[in-house]
Amino acid sequence: MKRELMNQADRIVLEVLYRSFRVLYRKDSRVRKEIDGWADDLTLKLVCGFGGAVLVVRHDREHGIVKLKRAQKADITMRFKSVEGAFQVLSGQKSVADAYAEHLFFLEGDIFQTMSFVRCVEYLEGYLFPGFMSRRILKELPGKQIPALEVYALALLENGN
Amino acid sequence: MTSYFEFTNPTKLCSGKGAADNLEYELEILGVLHPMVLSDRVLEKIGTLGIVLDALHTVQPGRVFTDIPRDSSIDVVNRIAREYREFGCDGLIAVGGGSVLDTAKGVRLLISQDADDLLDLMGCECLPRGKYVPFVALPTTAGTGSEATPVAVIKNPSLHIKMEYISQHLMPDVAVLDPRMTMTLPPRITASTGMDTLCHAIEAYSCMQKNPISDAYAASAVRLVRDNLVKAVRRGRSKETRMALANASYLAGAAFGNSMVGVIHAVGHALGGVCHIPHGDAMNILLPAGMIFNRKVCRDAYGELLLYLAGPEVYQATEPSKRADRSIREVIHLRKQLHELTGLPLTLKEAGADPGLFPQVAKTALNDGACIVNPREVTFEAVMKILEKCYE
Repeated sequence: MKRELMNQADRIVLEVLYRSFRVLYRKDSRVRKEIDGWADDLTLKLVCGFGGAVLVVRHDREHGIVKLKRAQKADITMRFKSVEGAFQVLSGQKSVADAYAEHLFFLEGDIFQTMSFVRCVEYLEGYLFPGFMSRRILKELPGKQIPALEVYALALLENGN
Repeated sequence: MTSYFEFTNPTKLCSGKGAADNLEYELEILGVLHPMVLSDRVLEKIGTLGIVLDALHTVQPGRVFTDIPRDSSIDVVNRIAREYREFGCDGLIAVGGGSVLDTAKGVRLLISQDADDLLDLMGCECLPRGKYVPFVALPTTAGTGSEATPVAVIKNPSLHIKMEYISQHLMPDVAVLDPRMTMTLPPRITASTGMDTLCHAIEAYSCMQKNPISDAYAASAVRLVRDNLVKAVRRGRSKETRMALANASYLAGAAFGNSMVGVIHAVGHALGGVCHIPHGDAMNILLPAGMIFNRKVCRDAYGELLLYLAGPEVYQATEPSKRADRSIREVIHLRKQLHELTGLPLTLKEAGADPGLFPQVAKTALNDGACIVNPREVTFEAVMKILEKCYE
């Protein structure tokens, strides 16, 4: 039961993550610069444990990223070893760096390209989590170019497809 | 320190005088009849490879390949894997420095996964074991620690980067540390590789994945470097000091193989890929600057390391609040000694780096996996500052 709840929460947060990424691609120059540096049509997959939530996106010149139906194989796949581990990261209890250090996920694909995605997630965490949470999990606060509330509001209005 | 850690070290260690003489036995235990022997031309010429081939006795190598360059590349690895199959080999023996050992790891990856191109196998901890390929490593430098790590660093010449492959299945079955393998190392290379060992140990002791087991390995490595590096540079024929440094390299490798390395290695890899600075030289140049950069978050770890860097008397006599700074000074002092003895470069200018390439180095370093476990956030500006500080 607890696992199923975490799974549901992971699904919701992945959706928020996706929409916020698209918002920040338009509103945050650092995120835009990172994503513009990705290879054309690069596909990226986040898997939240065995049987867990999945997000697959493709690099898109206009929107930054667009969602794909479940791809069998992406250029980069970050696969959490467990639903619980994914939940710890998506709920702001641990940073991506902590998760990497604790072997909570493994990676298929180019480590070099993945580092850019990790930086984007850290920018995003700076917006999505309250200051006390970001300060606890991030090595340094990345700063904001627009108010966090605006990101949330625009993410709500964002096309989720 | 993280709330959870993993530690892997499945490699059997054969260390000491005559260790290579047991090679035939180790191969028999592993079921190897026709190994592929990997090495380089220099080791073939000076007779180091010959010592290993002599120790094979009744075992007939399926192929001896010595055309491995200083910075091995994906193309070289792919080519060797093809030959492994063509010659019907059933195991790998790597005799060499980091490049040869990492090449062997790449070949093992390709054969075990039944793949033809290393680019198809990129990733971190993502591959199943696949087909079993017995693998024995005989390091001929005391620096990379590759014989004890799950990491292979292999150049991608088209992108001018050094790519990292991380998998526990890369680790050799047996590591053989024989003083004859490192006895002929010139003082300059002894110094450079020794500083690589020290850098592995210090970063392993201070990065985000540090844990009590890797700390024990790292601290022992630092102590062995402190007691033996300058001696080995001065008297290279001493078997005791050569063995001590080989053991230090193994210990530091096992430490950083589990707790990983940070900003110093990220920048060092980038300097290797972009400016072609030899890895050990880069580590020697970057180590103090990297420690100063991380000092504000690593004060305790650096303070503890003073015991191993300078010994109990100095540690005891130094106020706790000043131990971290003293550790950095000890490293600077060691570098100075090695520079005076061997001419080991202290600056990037001396090493021939082009400062015009620093932005490219910084951009490359930021995408190195080592940045993620560095205890302090690594930014483009921070790397540029480190590079400028190390230039002259």
